[in-house]
Amino acid sequence: MHFAVCIKQVPDTAEVKIDPETNTLVRAGVESMANPYDITALEEALRLKEKYGAKVTVLSMGPPQADSVLRQALSMGADDAVLLSDRAFAGADTLATSYTLSKAIETLGRVEPVDLVLCGKQAIDGDTAQTGPGIAARLALTQFTYVIEVQWIDLHKRRLQVRRKVEGGFEVILGPLPALLSVELELATPRRASLPMLINSFRAPVTVWNAETIGASAALVGIKGSPTWVKAIASPQVHRAGPRWDAAQGVRPAVTAALDTLFSDEDFAAGFLKGWKV
Amino acid sequence: MAKNTRGIEVAEIIADKCIACQICIGECPVGAIELNAEGVAQVDPEVCVGCGKCFDSCPVNAVRFEKKKRRKISEPKPAEPGAKTVVHRGVAVFIETVEGRGAPVSWELTGKARELAKQLDAKVLGLVLGSEVGGVAEEAIRYGCDEVHVVDHPLLARYLSATFGKALSDLCAQVRPEILLIGATALGRDLAGVVATRLETGLTADCTGLYIEKETGLLLMTRPTFGGNIMATIFCQKQRPQMSSVRPRVFPMPAQEPQRKGIVTGHQFEPPAVELPEIVEFIPTGAEAAADIVHYPALVVAGRGACDHASLSLLEELAELVGGVVACSRPVVQAGLLPYERQVGQTGRTVAPRLYIGVGVSGAVQHLVAIQGAGKIVAINSDPNAPIFRVADAGIVGNYQEVVPELIAQLRQRKS
Repeated sequence: MHFAVCIKQVPDTAEVKIDPETNTLVRAGVESMANPYDITALEEALRLKEKYGAKVTVLSMGPPQADSVLRQALSMGADDAVLLSDRAFAGADTLATSYTLSKAIETLGRVEPVDLVLCGKQAIDGDTAQTGPGIAARLALTQFTYVIEVQWIDLHKRRLQVRRKVEGGFEVILGPLPALLSVELELATPRRASLPMLINSFRAPVTVWNAETIGASAALVGIKGSPTWVKAIASPQVHRAGPRWDAAQGVRPAVTAALDTLFSDEDFAAGFLKGWKV
Repeated sequence: MAKNTRGIEVAEIIADKCIACQICIGECPVGAIELNAEGVAQVDPEVCVGCGKCFDSCPVNAVRFEKKKRRKISEPKPAEPGAKTVVHRGVAVFIETVEGRGAPVSWELTGKARELAKQLDAKVLGLVLGSEVGGVAEEAIRYGCDEVHVVDHPLLARYLSATFGKALSDLCAQVRPEILLIGATALGRDLAGVVATRLETGLTADCTGLYIEKETGLLLMTRPTFGGNIMATIFCQKQRPQMSSVRPRVFPMPAQEPQRKGIVTGHQFEPPAVELPEIVEFIPTGAEAAADIVHYPALVVAGRGACDHASLSLLEELAELVGGVVACSRPVVQAGLLPYERQVGQTGRTVAPRLYIGVGVSGAVQHLVAIQGAGKIVAINSDPNAPIFRVADAGIVGNYQEVVPELIAQLRQRKS
């Protein structure tokens, strides 16, 4: 079997902020990392490889420095790494990204057919959760999103069964290969690389493919293939700024004043006293 | 203005304005721009031809370029293949059904769609997929749809990406809406990605604001990005429909109008020609689902400043008194005090209770964007500079262990 795992390099989003004075991005000290959901997908691929036997190829689309996330994947035990890097890929939204990744998976498949594509349910910088379903739709793969357990793979019948999160519960679902899994963090805890693997990963080759290698149409990749554009960015604005009281001046009067403010709204007072209308 | 050795006045990137969207890199006709190691776009002045395309395309004005000196690049504008000669009209809402009724988020979106449709002088179209869903179509009209398009087929009784993805894409190809809104539930997010790909159009996920741009009639979609630290406004210039997904409880629930009239049209379903997956079992979360914090009219939310086991019973007492339940911010989950299901925030739940009481919640942006829909926000925090005070209707600066018991006592008094 052949598994392909898609990994995105993302900024550590907790650190990215806008300077309220200048309305510009503050990026000091912001480091790049592999999207944690994708690393969970890789961990699951490695576990399935250990159980059923398979080759694991990791893919990432990004600038040349994104090769560091692929080396991390190699250090964990991935067999092959492909970096999709081309100026033409720049500025891609999810539609262009899913196109580029699916062309690359097709290219991989010409040498050795891909049975299972794994990716995180979303990336922590964009949180869109669109790229996985996009790849599945383009390659006509059976789509399983929000996977929290891969129960079994039957190699002869070419079937797999997973447990996935759905609204109000879980669903156990069974379907044919080839398939795409987009995974939740609770699926697996990623392993740490051993020291020899880590050292080897620095020397291991990372294949670099461009638009031509994967036979991608110039009109469908990068900014040209992206229907959505960013118009502006801003700090989130959530302001009400009601009055406030200092308990140091007396806890009781502070609480009384705060409650008087709230209860001056008749609907609120009625809701509290007679039960909230939902 | 910087000149290169050939005397061309070149473009420069203002590093601290650049958001690394890479649009300029894609637009540059000579490949003069790349992302540097700091993740900022950088122009190679010796390669730059001074055409100004990066200046024109930058969404955040991060390119410094002298417009007058612009040099014309002889590059024929590629004709838009099959440039949208087809007219797309109407604001469509995908109506998700849960046990034979429309999901609340679908009606919230229908309410929003009415606003947008009014500005566009267009109709609101409800798109209903399922098996025996005639009742939902009627409900959709009462909530504000002018037309309801129904695909009723036994194969659509349960959700599968393959069947719903094809049914909704096919329906859009027939009905041709200019806008399509989908609730960002687990089902909606799974579906939206498939439909946008099949229709080859733009999709913006988890929008918190939707507006029509007056001059262009385009849909402007605002969404949190970078984990909620930044709000981005996105638009979709050419492809149709302009697709957007919106989380539940972001927009208010509209009232039903029992007398409203509308047209219901049935459509055929052509099942996909692939082997379909089979749902083996559905396991409801049961007790956990009942405790879903989003369903409570009041929430007492514990933050980092009230993150200890001993205080939990105090907060529970307050929660019970106000008819609600205890929820928390992310640090409390990370400390293991409360489960993830109780977390309010960008990575947890978006909530809109009638009353929100934050106890020791400092108010990180990721948390604040998820409580925008709350009726009244009360903040209790010992730090007078905590950002939560900026969004509170009433704030008390002080030690919560003194404030909360007093609050409980006074609320009891008011109740009796």
